Amino acid sequence: MWNTANELNSMLGAMGLLRSMNRIFTDFDRHYSNSFVWKISDGAPRTSMYDSSDRLVITAELPGVKKEDLNVKVQGKYLELSGERRIDIPEGFEKRRVERDVNSFTRSFTLPYDIDVDKVDAKLESGLLTLTLPKAASEQLKQITIH
Amino acid sequence: MQERNEIVKSQENIEQKTNNRAVAIPLVDIYENEEAILLHADMPGVAKDRVSVNIDQGKLTLTGVRELRRDGAVQWDEIGEVEYQRTFSIPHTIDAGNVEAEFKEGVLKLILPKSASAKPRSVEIH
Repeated sequence: MWNTANELNSMLGAMGLLRSMNRIFTDFDRHYSNSFVWKISDGAPRTSMYDSSDRLVITAELPGVKKEDLNVKVQGKYLELSGERRIDIPEGFEKRRVERDVNSFTRSFTLPYDIDVDKVDAKLESGLLTLTLPKAASEQLKQITIH
Repeated sequence: MQERNEIVKSQENIEQKTNNRAVAIPLVDIYENEEAILLHADMPGVAKDRVSVNIDQGKLTLTGVRELRRDGAVQWDEIGEVEYQRTFSIPHTIDAGNVEAEFKEGVLKLILPKSASAKPRSVEIH
């Protein structure tokens, strides 16, 4: 068994196959980790939306984005997040590795309900934006009393 | 400054890996000059006290746990609770005792100073 494995190994080694296989896997890993697990390819922020009986809650990942560089617009069922992420390269330093995006971004949503625009609450904390969008009164479930 | 040092020193509360959180790799930018190496990592939504930076035997490990409180029915979710984790090899020229860390706006910023012996020096010729 050992001999067979050894022989196979040296044969593959001679063909340079193992080495190129290793390279394929490294490339695969890198691709996977950068663009699938972690990054949205167009640089738009990742978001989530949760629907409670009286409100929608949208969260968006915006690390390093300052409040003043962020715009949130709501009209009826339309919601738009836009902004800019600035990265200041510290003076006198050379770049060694750059993975974080510097860009302006826009992401818009069509909400499933009309929103009470005046009561929208936005909070930017630790690079995470939380938007609380209360549903308009006409959209909320109403309890009907049975006579 | 005080806070920065606290983050660096809090080696004991490295998060234990749990099964129900996905592990994510924080994206980083690295800068270097003759004095120091800077490392900036994105960890949006992580609370400051859940971030840890550990330096051990030439390995720099960043961890951050994001916990989210949410209710209602999920419409879509691209965020989720994650554990950010990434390890770097750092050159032995780094003065590990004087690393500074700052966590703001979901971005972890590390300053890794080079030790005096590693800095370039010009020798005077007599």
